[in-house]
Amino acid sequence: MRTLRRLSKLILLLLCFSGCRTKATQEGTIQVWVHTGQAAERQTIEQQVDRFNASQTEVKVELTFIPEGSYNAQLQSASVSNALPDVVEIDGPSVYNYIWQGNLIAINTLLSPQVRQDLLPSIINQGTYKGRLYSVGTFDSGLGLYSRRSRLEAAGVRIPKGNRDAWTAKEFNQALAALAQKDPDRQVLDLKLNSRGEWYSYAFLPLIYSAGGRTDQPVDRFLNSSSAVFAMQQIQGWIQKGYVDPNLDDASFESGRVALAWGGHWNYQTYAKAAGSDLVVLPLPNFGSGSKTAQGSWNWGITTNSKSPKSAVRFLEFLLQPNEVLAMAAANSAVPGTKRAIAQSRLYAKGGSLSLFSSQLLLGQTVSRPQTPAYLVMTSTFEQSFADIRNGLDVKTTLDRAATAIAIDIQDNQGYPDVHSISKRHDRSENTKTQ
Amino acid sequence: MIDLKTRKLNDDTHIAICMVAPALTGLFLFVALPFSLALILSFTNLRLGSPLPIQFWGFEQYRRIWLDPSFRHALLNNGLFALVVVPTQTILALGLALLLNRPLKGMAVFRTLFFMPVVFPMALVSVIWTIIYAPGADSMMNAFLKFMTLGLWQPRDFLHDPDLALPAVMLLSIWQGVGFQMVIILAGLQSIPTLLYEAAAIDGSNQWSQFRYITLPQLRNTLVFVGLVTTILSFRLFDSVRIMTGGGPGDATTTVMNEAIKAAFDQQKMAKGSAITVTFFLIVLIITLLQRVLVREERTIE
Amino acid sequence: MNNLESTQWISKRSNQQWLEKMASYLLLIFLAFLFTVPILFVVMGSLKPDELVLSEASTLKAFIPQQVSLQNYHDVFERVEFGRFFFNSLLINSTILVLGLIANSLAGYAFARLRWRGRSLLFVIVIALMILPFEAIAVPLFFQITLLGLRNTYIAQILPFVANAFSIYLFYTFFVDLPKELEEAAYIDGASTLQTFVEVIMPVSKPAFATVAILTFLTQWGSFLWSLMITIDEKVRPLPLAIATFQTLPPIQWGDIMSFGVMMVAPILAVFLLFQKWFVKGVASTGTKG
Repeated sequence: MRTLRRLSKLILLLLCFSGCRTKATQEGTIQVWVHTGQAAERQTIEQQVDRFNASQTEVKVELTFIPEGSYNAQLQSASVSNALPDVVEIDGPSVYNYIWQGNLIAINTLLSPQVRQDLLPSIINQGTYKGRLYSVGTFDSGLGLYSRRSRLEAAGVRIPKGNRDAWTAKEFNQALAALAQKDPDRQVLDLKLNSRGEWYSYAFLPLIYSAGGRTDQPVDRFLNSSSAVFAMQQIQGWIQKGYVDPNLDDASFESGRVALAWGGHWNYQTYAKAAGSDLVVLPLPNFGSGSKTAQGSWNWGITTNSKSPKSAVRFLEFLLQPNEVLAMAAANSAVPGTKRAIAQSRLYAKGGSLSLFSSQLLLGQTVSRPQTPAYLVMTSTFEQSFADIRNGLDVKTTLDRAATAIAIDIQDNQGYPDVHSISKRHDRSENTKTQ
Repeated sequence: MIDLKTRKLNDDTHIAICMVAPALTGLFLFVALPFSLALILSFTNLRLGSPLPIQFWGFEQYRRIWLDPSFRHALLNNGLFALVVVPTQTILALGLALLLNRPLKGMAVFRTLFFMPVVFPMALVSVIWTIIYAPGADSMMNAFLKFMTLGLWQPRDFLHDPDLALPAVMLLSIWQGVGFQMVIILAGLQSIPTLLYEAAAIDGSNQWSQFRYITLPQLRNTLVFVGLVTTILSFRLFDSVRIMTGGGPGDATTTVMNEAIKAAFDQQKMAKGSAITVTFFLIVLIITLLQRVLVREERTIE
Repeated sequence: MNNLESTQWISKRSNQQWLEKMASYLLLIFLAFLFTVPILFVVMGSLKPDELVLSEASTLKAFIPQQVSLQNYHDVFERVEFGRFFFNSLLINSTILVLGLIANSLAGYAFARLRWRGRSLLFVIVIALMILPFEAIAVPLFFQITLLGLRNTYIAQILPFVANAFSIYLFYTFFVDLPKELEEAAYIDGASTLQTFVEVIMPVSKPAFATVAILTFLTQWGSFLWSLMITIDEKVRPLPLAIATFQTLPPIQWGDIMSFGVMMVAPILAVFLLFQKWFVKGVASTGTKG
């Protein structure tokens, strides 16, 4: 009984100490939330924060890592209890829903013109909603097919030189068959099926656009259009013919198990290390309307919760300086988000190993994912549909189901109207400046 | 010297209220209140973070979830799960308890071994079994089945196979839970008076009839209790599904709780999530009441 | 039956019994092996280099590490703050345990041994609340906690679980069976109700406290759902959530995951092995109460 008393006192003490973290932001401190990505990305952002904090004394940045799996859920529920930090990182097109909810402030007037002009057009396009800029990304993304030249040559497969002569759907299937013949377990394609979350929309919606999907369609109609059905049926075909690796570990391409890997810029370093000069970066197959690929990536926004938006902008502008942009691009091999940085990048300047990605961005061969507040619902629904299709369920039925679910959501949200509160909040933060 | 304090020996109201206050406040704030909130929310269209005003929707949420194929599939899965796991786990637990109910040496060791999985957190169990169920010929489960079927078994991807995913989850659930039931049944077995067995032996009955006419009837209440608890636990199934399959493939392994959390936490639809949990509670209530009825029948016979 | 026949009959019986014994043992050993296979697999896997964990899983090599190495354990500490998770689990669980024992035992005693207005009504309500499993209130509770801004705190992970209807009931059934003389003696000595409880009742109620402690511990240590919903970053995450997140953290290395699992379960396993008797008694007693 005495031990109970002693234990209770000890626990009370422990609780006090643990609860006494300084949650209240001191003057000049801004809270920043970042997703937990690859190890190199994590380290780089930590170093960037250190450099920023060391470079001046007015603003101090406190960084928090959020696991990627439930990132959106965390952001959403934080916004309800006014627990949002000053600065959040948001993945691609999820940003429009946050803007619609009124969580982000417009930053066109806060961002300096030089920084604005330096940004890639795709970055500005990504961060703009209804005419106002709400977010900036320090990098854009690249998506393609990684392969080993020697394997392709051994199987007699033609190697495309660029986006214009990408494989057609038929050629791609033939290539898979030819590669499978040389592979003992016949699994030659890595589609990263162990991913959860945004990967599926990012990696496979371009195929739908390539098959003729239109960007001006409402999202639900887009998802069960004939182009969508065609594209998904192709994918299902590859899986059912046994060409696709089940991805139990994360290493099917590096270990040499598969010849082809669907991958993004973030895979480049691991793959380059494993394949060396044998590595080739190829465009996605062309399903009829030209080979299309994805764009968009993590971007930074300032929340309405922030008491010091000007300090937050200082941090963002720091991240957008050429050497900082290059530092992050070096860590994750992403396409640098500013024109000055691209010019200085070994990978992305003309002739660089990843110049395919930058050229696709600059030549308009990329398509952004649907830019709508309904995007969050769309992407989680699509993820589920993809899983169903992967497991052999009928493509048309699955996509119809998805389209209906999204349509119902749009209806429930009354079409995502421009709620009055949004413009009110922005007037507050923009002072008297009109747009 | 005896100092008798004057007290109203029949009324301890003051002190009693103080004693129950902490626990009852906790129960009120964290059990009763949320549940009432769930009821209320389930009649609205509340979505966390939506800037649109909240609306009263009557029974719309309930109508929707009953029409939702995912939810119906989840109910089906929970039902299937209970139908398979409850008898299997109970019979297995009974068998193990019978085996352990001998005055042989080392029974305590075996009892510990069988109970060990219970101590493992379900999250850890899920992670371990994910790798046991790995696809490909290299995986432990595939190799084991190949061995047991003398080479006839083809490697399958358990957790992504619409037909095998749910049984896979059932197996690991049984593995984790058998020890718990076994211990309860063992205690029940040990409380049966040996007198009964001795009398039966004198009368010349064999082991099987002793089992049928003494053991089983005496264990009836214990078995019913064990069955009830396992049934309710099987409706609460969430951790393993979330970690191993996310409810997939398709809806093959989704459960009622998985749907509720998906709605409330992943999609921010508080109202839908609340409706699902209220429905879930009603189901649990019905099952519990059914058990009460069964047991009462037994008591009146005695 | 003459002497010879009866001796033969006795030795036949004992042969039969010996055979039965052997059969039982064999069966038990086989079943015990099946049961512990996953555990052995994890332990051995934690000692192997990552690539071998998967590839050797299909052979008996899964259980025999050829080069024992603690590299995976080292990796875990490098990649995540394991110590923090462990501390979190410990803090959360022991607080729930201690506060719960105090609050629930007090309530159970008041229901069992005191007479007061409102006792029957409140007792019925407590019994009714026993049916509500946590899942039935997880969603609205999440909403409540979020509105209060208590997300991502220890408090949110502790307070909702302190008061427990089932624990109150367990204490109640135990206290109800205690002899009345205990309190009468204390009252005559002039002790207040609280004093009586602390100095007279509690010392003889060790079995009840042990049972409730163990059952609470068993249910709370593995708690996953709630921490999933309520925590945001690593600072206050407990172990079960941590391993689930760790399992998906790139790069995915199974050896590391196995060693995380071993470190996560070793303490509870140790506690369990030490207090086996209490565990078994505690669990078994739920059956008799039901």
